[in-house]
Amino acid sequence: MNDIFDCKLLIVDDEPELRRMVNEILRREGFMKIISAADCKEARQFFAHEKPDAVILDVSLPDGDGFSLMREFRAALAVPVLFLSARDEDENRLLGLGLGADDYITKPFLPRELTLRLRAVLSRAYFPTILMRTEKPIFHLGETEVDLNSGTVITKNDRLTLTAKEFTLLEKLYENRGNIVTGDSLCRAAWGDDLYGYENTLMVHIRRLREKIEPEPSSPRYLLTVRGLGYKLTGVEGK
Amino acid sequence: MKGITKILSRYVLSAAGVTLILLVVNFAVLAMWTVQAKQISQKDYSVSQLADGLTKSNGVYTLSKSARDTIEKRFQWAMLLDEDGNVIWSENLPDDLPLRYSVSDVAGFTRWYLNDYPVYVWRNPYGLFVLGSAKGSMWKFGIELPQKVMENTLVWIPAILIFNGVAAVLLALLFGLRLFHSLKPLAKGIEDMTEKRPVELSTRGLLGDLAAGINKTSAQLIKQEANLSKRDNARTTWIAGVSHDIRTPLSIVMGYASQLEDDSELPQSKREQAGIICRQSERIKALVSDLNLASKLEYDMQPIRRNAIALAALLRQMAVDFLNSGLSDSYFIDVIIREDAQNAMVIGDEELLRRAVSNLIVNSIRYNPNGCAIKVTLDKGIGCSLSVSDSGIGFTQEMLDDLNHPKSSAYLQNHGLGLTIVRQIIKAHRGTTEFRNLPEGGCTVELCLPVSTVEDN
Repeated sequence: MNDIFDCKLLIVDDEPELRRMVNEILRREGFMKIISAADCKEARQFFAHEKPDAVILDVSLPDGDGFSLMREFRAALAVPVLFLSARDEDENRLLGLGLGADDYITKPFLPRELTLRLRAVLSRAYFPTILMRTEKPIFHLGETEVDLNSGTVITKNDRLTLTAKEFTLLEKLYENRGNIVTGDSLCRAAWGDDLYGYENTLMVHIRRLREKIEPEPSSPRYLLTVRGLGYKLTGVEGK
Repeated sequence: MKGITKILSRYVLSAAGVTLILLVVNFAVLAMWTVQAKQISQKDYSVSQLADGLTKSNGVYTLSKSARDTIEKRFQWAMLLDEDGNVIWSENLPDDLPLRYSVSDVAGFTRWYLNDYPVYVWRNPYGLFVLGSAKGSMWKFGIELPQKVMENTLVWIPAILIFNGVAAVLLALLFGLRLFHSLKPLAKGIEDMTEKRPVELSTRGLLGDLAAGINKTSAQLIKQEANLSKRDNARTTWIAGVSHDIRTPLSIVMGYASQLEDDSELPQSKREQAGIICRQSERIKALVSDLNLASKLEYDMQPIRRNAIALAALLRQMAVDFLNSGLSDSYFIDVIIREDAQNAMVIGDEELLRRAVSNLIVNSIRYNPNGCAIKVTLDKGIGCSLSVSDSGIGFTQEMLDDLNHPKSSAYLQNHGLGLTIVRQIIKAHRGTTEFRNLPEGGCTVELCLPVSTVEDN
């Protein structure tokens, strides 16, 4: 298997129109090996013979329910399962009972939602991030270069090292670049706690970070304060 | 149980009171009656007066006119005995009476009867004046009491009263306890009934009818309760069923519409139309899940996962999510957390509370398409007060009335389900919701939630 599109998918849903549509959506996306079953009986047969790499499973089926079918499949083979459910109580059951589904989508859904989630499930299962984890990014803020691998900031005439907390904060901001990040999530990333009690500490660290990455720390251009909410990293350019 | 103990003590006290009152009344009546009887027997003249009416002049006895009248009127006779016991004068003397009496005769009748005639005796200067009544007209009884007893009367009478009182209290207590005993299961039954537990009391004994009535009422209450919950259940499952059935066809509509929208071979106008189908389908999707949630909240069938939630962080995150999702620049979201509310924790379902606040913000955005300033405030007083205000068009009076004083389960109002869900969610968290217009324009919705007592849990 070279990429996720080589995966063999099994769709189980009692509604033929929906099966057809999902089939079409997935084919458009690039998946070539798709089989579909209308009920538990058919699904068991296909599962035994075809050994699919992932199952998209409806919860309510004419001759049983998707949850127990998943348990059956999992007992035979550690296969990723994505639920398509028409009831929002199922969401509660999945959360509450920890049934171990890889993901669930409540109907109705947009095709894009389905394909994105399916791709995420498949990459997690067959191309785990350990293999895919490449280097950490290197990016530019104006003329300043930030290398998250070594945790260094390279300006025109200087080379600075980030402290551990500064690094964590900057990485969090970079991951959400262009978006506001609340003080709470920054604190959780750096200190594992909510903002309350850490405001001043956070402010101090942000100021030091600005001193390293901003050309003029007193009037920041890249690391902006959003009053009362948090901070935002803008103007990020790739390598 | 407290109720019947009170009844019992009142009962005992009133029984003792009644006894005492009866005793006093009886004594009074007895005393009055005795005095009255005495007065009847000597209405006009006492024996002494009659005796004085007899005078002797020149060896002849004359009875005054008034004394004679009195004797005749009351069928009485009179005689006068000399020192030797001879009758020296008489008036109306019956024939069966002798005319001479020995000392022992006199001693015999003095205070009692003479040949069954009740007699009264009085000494006058001429001898012994004897006055007789008709046979059987008077009952005579001599009272003798030891001197000591009479002297102790002042002690005895109160003692008897007290003894009677105590006896009355004890008796009342005895009977009261029996009543208490038979009332106890009834009281328990009524208590059970208020707790909606089934009641099955024994219908024997004094209060059997009452017990039977309580049994019947309880059975009816339970039946009604079952019917009500059955109906609510049916309604909720019906709505859940409908929303379930709508979801699958809606998936297909949305799926194809979205594909058409992305289809580069189609002309732009057709793609836009497909886009509209897609957006509207999403609205139906939201409506279906709102309807489902509202009906579950209304009938307490929405499971509520209770966790400690840091509201301040939640509100900041929500505002940021709205801002990051590409909210138009004509909207401003400001989050104001008061100092003492910074670490306020509430126990609740984070997903539902998020939904409530998000509904309020979405509402402000939707009804003010030209933009507005939205202010989310968190304050901590007795509870946590969370308000979402905007500078937009505000509510109409009719909407305010509807929202602040909801009619039961009338949740299909023209302002949609969003605000109803907010109110239901806050109610499920034992909080209160208030919808207001602001004097400077716009409106505010204030949610009050009880604060967790465990601050750092």
